[in-house]
Amino acid sequence: MSKYSGRTVTLTKEQMYKVISSPLITEKSTVITEHNQISFKVPLSATKPEIRAAVEGLFDVKVTSVNTLRQKGKLKRFRGQIGKRSDFKKAIVTLAEGDSIDVTTGV
Amino acid sequence: MEVTETTNEGLKREFKIVVPAADIEAKMSSRLAAIAPTVRMPGFRPGKVPPKLVRKTYGKAILSEVLEQTVNESTEAAMTERGLRAATQPQVDLVGEVDAIEEGSDLEYTVAFERFPEIEIMDLASVKLERLTVPADDARVDEALDRLAQNYKESKPVETKRKAKTGDITVIDFTGTIDGEEFAGGTAEGYSLELGSGAFIPGFEDQLVGASVGDQLQIAVTFPEGYAEELAGKDAEFAVEVKELREPSPAEINDDLAKRLGAENIGELKGRLKENQEAEYKNLARMRLKRDLLDILDKQHEFELPEAMIDAEFEGIWNQFEHQREHNPEQIDEDDKGKSDDELKEGYRDIAVRRVRLGLLLSEIGRLNNIEVTSEELNRAIASEAQQYQGREKEVLEFYKTNPQAVQALQSPIIEEKVVDFVLEMADVSDREATMEELIASPDDEAEEKKETAAKPKKKTASKSKAAAKKDDADG
Repeated sequence: MSKYSGRTVTLTKEQMYKVISSPLITEKSTVITEHNQISFKVPLSATKPEIRAAVEGLFDVKVTSVNTLRQKGKLKRFRGQIGKRSDFKKAIVTLAEGDSIDVTTGV
Repeated sequence: MEVTETTNEGLKREFKIVVPAADIEAKMSSRLAAIAPTVRMPGFRPGKVPPKLVRKTYGKAILSEVLEQTVNESTEAAMTERGLRAATQPQVDLVGEVDAIEEGSDLEYTVAFERFPEIEIMDLASVKLERLTVPADDARVDEALDRLAQNYKESKPVETKRKAKTGDITVIDFTGTIDGEEFAGGTAEGYSLELGSGAFIPGFEDQLVGASVGDQLQIAVTFPEGYAEELAGKDAEFAVEVKELREPSPAEINDDLAKRLGAENIGELKGRLKENQEAEYKNLARMRLKRDLLDILDKQHEFELPEAMIDAEFEGIWNQFEHQREHNPEQIDEDDKGKSDDELKEGYRDIAVRRVRLGLLLSEIGRLNNIEVTSEELNRAIASEAQQYQGREKEVLEFYKTNPQAVQALQSPIIEEKVVDFVLEMADVSDREATMEELIASPDDEAEEKKETAAKPKKKTASKSKAAAKKDDADG
């Protein structure tokens, strides 16, 4: 059990929109929709309970679990100079059976 | 596809056409499936984008394409089913919203057009025409020769001592000054100036009249406004010395003149002139024959005409007339000047009706007899068009290569000529010798004649303005 289990957070609408930066639409994310999972791009500071609250609040669905990972930004060279794309956090949200979100339509 | 006829009046037809949603859906899916393998989207390998996403991003664009295609197809199907041909561009009006169709409702639209009228072509073999042939006559050839000689006039020194008169050529030295100072371009030696030719500033030549060889005179003139900038409106003095006085004389008609014109001797020159004249007569005779034929066809056929076409034709004529009235009013026919707009409009309307009728008739004859323009003929027409712009043939050819519409415009006169040829072959044409005067004069009644002359200059200006536009294009 994680240190967050059992804790609930309450967020204002504004905060919810901040937590969910954008949906992640990729081949992989399309595949996992088969398992009723949806992925989002979220700020590095977002926690699982926050994400759960935000998704439930914004899309009116029931979330069963939230998995997150930190995606490191790629190192890119431009004209010999090294640049770095910023890191971001991916959140993979599993929805309760029967619920669904059409990620392509936006909020 | 369901088609109901809502209007059937004269030539006007209006249909209401309903295409079921399933048909459109089927077309949509096949189109989407066709583009899916090439779609690129971030987050996906090329061609691996799920169909749902493809539809979401490209659905709207494809739907409008599909709709356009379906509308065209179904309209055409409806027309062929009823054996109609449209004379005008069909006007299509969608009944519902495009969004609604996207959500799965039937496509419903009305289409309005005027059908091609039923034309009963008269028995062309019964057309009786006279081809006037005018033999070239020597008197006219000589006349032409005289004119040529005039153009190639020579000058010879005046033998007796006399004063210069208008028409003479003076050979002069002159030095021009403004306020006592010489100016650029104001000085010349041994210049040949024809008095009365207007080559110099007004007043200069007049003051030379009456001078004799060896005279030195001072000529005071004022440069006209609108002359070169520094000189405009200034008073100038010219010190002029008359060196020589020559008088022009027409070139003598002999082998020398012939040689200057590129012929071996005078006989050949005459022969050439004669050929030219014959060709000209032949051309005139053909034009006359064609006009007679069109008159007959116009009179013998009576059928309903699509109003929209008449309106469009009339609009074109009227615009041209207004344009002419604004820009070069001197070219307007004398008869037309006194008339009010309404009278003019009526007259031009008649012309429009005649043109539409003949146009439809000729195209119908052409269609029924499979008369088509070959690409060879088209190329020849383009080449002859290019020849009219000496030195810039390439640009003209380029213009036609890049503008298929312009080629289209060349096509219709060719078809017209071919159809006329075809009809002339069928028709009963007899030859008759006639004189030049007969050829030019029209035996028809006044009204017909007026119509023709009114129509002719219009046509000419049309081609002129086209040519001008072409030039512009070529320049740009």
